[in-house]
Amino acid sequence: MAQSNDVSADGAKYPAVHYMNADAGIKSWFLTLDHKRIALMYLVLTTLAFIVGGLFAMALRIEHLTPDRTIMGANTYNRMFTLHGVVMIFLFMIPAVPGVFGNFLLPLMLGAKDVAFPRLNLLSVYVYAAGAALALYGMASGGADAGWTFYVPYSLSTPAALAPVLFGIFILGFSSILTGLNFIVTVHTLRAPGMTWMKMPLFVWAIYATSIIQVLATPVIGLTAVLVGIERIFGFGFFDPSRGGDPVMFQHMFWFYSHPAVYIMVLPTMGVISELVTGTARKNMFGYKAIALSSLGIAFVGFFAWGHHMFVSGQSALDAGSFAFISMLVGVFTAIKVFNWVGTMYRGSIAIRTPLIYICGFLFFIVFGGMTGIALATVSLDIHWHDTYFVVAHFHFIMVGAVIMGWLGAIHFWFPKMFGRMYHEGWGMVSAAFIVLGFNATFIPQFLLGNAGQPRRYYMYDERYWALNVASTAGSTLLAFGVLMILIYLGYALKNGAIAGDNPWDLAGLEWKTTSPPPKENFETPPTAEEDPYTYQKKGETVEHVVI
Amino acid sequence: MSSSKAEPAGGHGHGHALPWYQAHHFDSMEVQNHAVRLGMWLFLGTEVLLFAGLFLGYTVYRWLYHQSFHEASRLLSLPLGTINTIILITSSFTVALGYHAIKVGKQKACVGYLAFTIACAGAFLVIKFFEYKHKFEVGELPGRFFTAYHDFSPLGAKGANLYYAIYFLATGLHAFHVIVGASILAWLMVRVHKGKYGPHHYVPVELGALYWHLVDLVWIFLFPLLYLI
Amino acid sequence: MAETTHKEAAHEDHGIGRYVLIWGILLAFTLLTVFTGRMDLGAANIFIALAIATTKATLVVLFFMHLWDTGGVNRLVFVVSVLFAIVLILGVFGDLTARYAPTLPNGGPLPPHSAAGAAEAVEHGMPPIPGH
Repeated sequence: MAQSNDVSADGAKYPAVHYMNADAGIKSWFLTLDHKRIALMYLVLTTLAFIVGGLFAMALRIEHLTPDRTIMGANTYNRMFTLHGVVMIFLFMIPAVPGVFGNFLLPLMLGAKDVAFPRLNLLSVYVYAAGAALALYGMASGGADAGWTFYVPYSLSTPAALAPVLFGIFILGFSSILTGLNFIVTVHTLRAPGMTWMKMPLFVWAIYATSIIQVLATPVIGLTAVLVGIERIFGFGFFDPSRGGDPVMFQHMFWFYSHPAVYIMVLPTMGVISELVTGTARKNMFGYKAIALSSLGIAFVGFFAWGHHMFVSGQSALDAGSFAFISMLVGVFTAIKVFNWVGTMYRGSIAIRTPLIYICGFLFFIVFGGMTGIALATVSLDIHWHDTYFVVAHFHFIMVGAVIMGWLGAIHFWFPKMFGRMYHEGWGMVSAAFIVLGFNATFIPQFLLGNAGQPRRYYMYDERYWALNVASTAGSTLLAFGVLMILIYLGYALKNGAIAGDNPWDLAGLEWKTTSPPPKENFETPPTAEEDPYTYQKKGETVEHVVI
Repeated sequence: MSSSKAEPAGGHGHGHALPWYQAHHFDSMEVQNHAVRLGMWLFLGTEVLLFAGLFLGYTVYRWLYHQSFHEASRLLSLPLGTINTIILITSSFTVALGYHAIKVGKQKACVGYLAFTIACAGAFLVIKFFEYKHKFEVGELPGRFFTAYHDFSPLGAKGANLYYAIYFLATGLHAFHVIVGASILAWLMVRVHKGKYGPHHYVPVELGALYWHLVDLVWIFLFPLLYLI
Repeated sequence: MAETTHKEAAHEDHGIGRYVLIWGILLAFTLLTVFTGRMDLGAANIFIALAIATTKATLVVLFFMHLWDTGGVNRLVFVVSVLFAIVLILGVFGDLTARYAPTLPNGGPLPPHSAAGAAEAVEHGMPPIPGH
């Protein structure tokens, strides 16, 4: 990998003017309308959020090194898991991939100059920052301890500082809505000439489906969070059983958003994987239409599955059975995607680079996370597993396993494009291995713990769970170490990496047809898109060899 | 929703100068207009989902406390509610007239219609203020503030506090949207008066009108559900 | 650019007569709903009120908000939003009606009000604890 730092592998020079230096001065960043700069702002903010959420997670795991008190008291523990959830979900998982990669790549992939509403885009970053600041203020001033799911009636009566966190979530919701709205209009109106819907890159399809969910579902959580906040402050009695309210209705309203929310988190990642798979295997997507339409399918059907979080809440048996059945249908769409991704890689010309490790990790985690999801959707099994570590392991397999694989894979795959430099492949692959192995070491024990009966969100646990808890904590240190490594070598590569050139890996896609980093206006001349999005093979041509 | 979205960022390096309201990243005004209309409809969609949660609360608690809701609606002032409904429907009519006026170049008429619409918003809020004031005086309030037991039958009193929770939350959120909508229309009215819009560029007025119509739509459902049945 | 909008204006300018007509119809429906709303029609009350409100809303959306003349995707956006709002309401309300009654606030919906039932209605509350 030792390259001269003046030119790339194909002799290109680092562009003299690009989006990061096109306008100088701090004001040009804080008032930018350039979607690429806004993407970088999201990158900084969400990475910080990830680190904060990760620190809360490490605190939890350290506490669980012993069955009784290790480093914190019970009330602090409650705050730790609440804040870990709130930060990871609302400050990282929901905004990160759309905010960073949606923003950076959507216009480039469509051949456009910017998103539809650049001003709203800038507003979405500031709204995100404001909501995050309010939520963090709440955490600092006493913290929230009702879980990220803030179920009533405890969330109504807890003395912890829940109101700022709730209103912070409400404000964060606006950022999500603005982003989704922007992306939907961008896809409808700013495609390059010749780019029909069926010629869009699959990442765009995924972002489009995500944006639909963001627009439709987020208002409901916004309202729910505000209602709980109002009830805490004014005692209106909307959900309070002592005033005639229905606490299970809270759960319905909460999960009506929060279940589609998990698809907000995972769909963009699936879009990333589609791009990574075609690029890494140098093959056209095996079933383009299947992947594109299954994204919409997940978005749609995902809205009707929320009650699977409420099997033991007192919900009616009619609802429980219906939600169980529908939840399994979502698995069909995910399976369609997995088969298509694997089919694409089969007999592909697979490049052994860091993104490949993330692809493999992703496939492993989505399959096992998904299958345990189907298992949990079986009402009779969930009676046993609900509120145990089995559920925790399941959703971490998807949320951390699958989503983080996509997030890190995207960072590496598009790092050359975004920053014009190559990261060190050796370090990339080593840290990816740490992450995948560390992740398995952390969460496979949790499946076993949950199945053996360890409840979640409990400060203490029975001694018989001790060994597996220690194993899980050990795994989490590997995971943390992997993350630390990534921060270090990527930070180094920003300044000292080899020059990338326009298209270092000779990939298809409009974003690779401009300089790295791209100019402020994205393209020297606006492109047209007569070709299919993936042009590694001519139509009907099969790939006969596998080159390693 | 606002014409400021359309102002070009830089706009240099083009063969021709773009009008102040056209953004450089859209191919044409036609595409831009289509985009901003779609953006507004998406936003209206989010507003529908926002109010849906409160309508859900209404449905659930009406079913559970039917008697309370039945009695409480009789305690609301039907004349004031009806007048407010007529005011909002008329304001929807006049904002549509305002949009039409600027579309055909009648700037002064547009200002007049928008002013009338804003006046309707003001009248609506004044009436609402008096309704709220009365409720505060007699204790018809939500949750732990409810004290008007004497106005209800013993059965009806059970869910009355929830009725008023829904009433204040729904009409309060609606009134907030009335204020926001009226502010947007006022801002647009000033810009119409300054000559910024005309048959060549009237979409911002159209978008402001769309938002106002949503405010009317929500009230069309709130009125019968709260005041009548 | 100005030409296309001029063309749009010329083709779509249907005058204000349509608005006046819709306004009149809306006012008429308002009077109708006020009249029927306070009548005692039993269970039909809510359906009539919702039917009238839906009709009024449809007229506003189609004609005041111009979904009648324009907007394929805009129509889709609005209809889908309304549909999902209905899914939220019916899905949750459906759960309420299908649930085991003691899990509901007050043990279930309050009984209908009648002179005869008034006395026992006052007693109505949580179901008795088994064994007591």
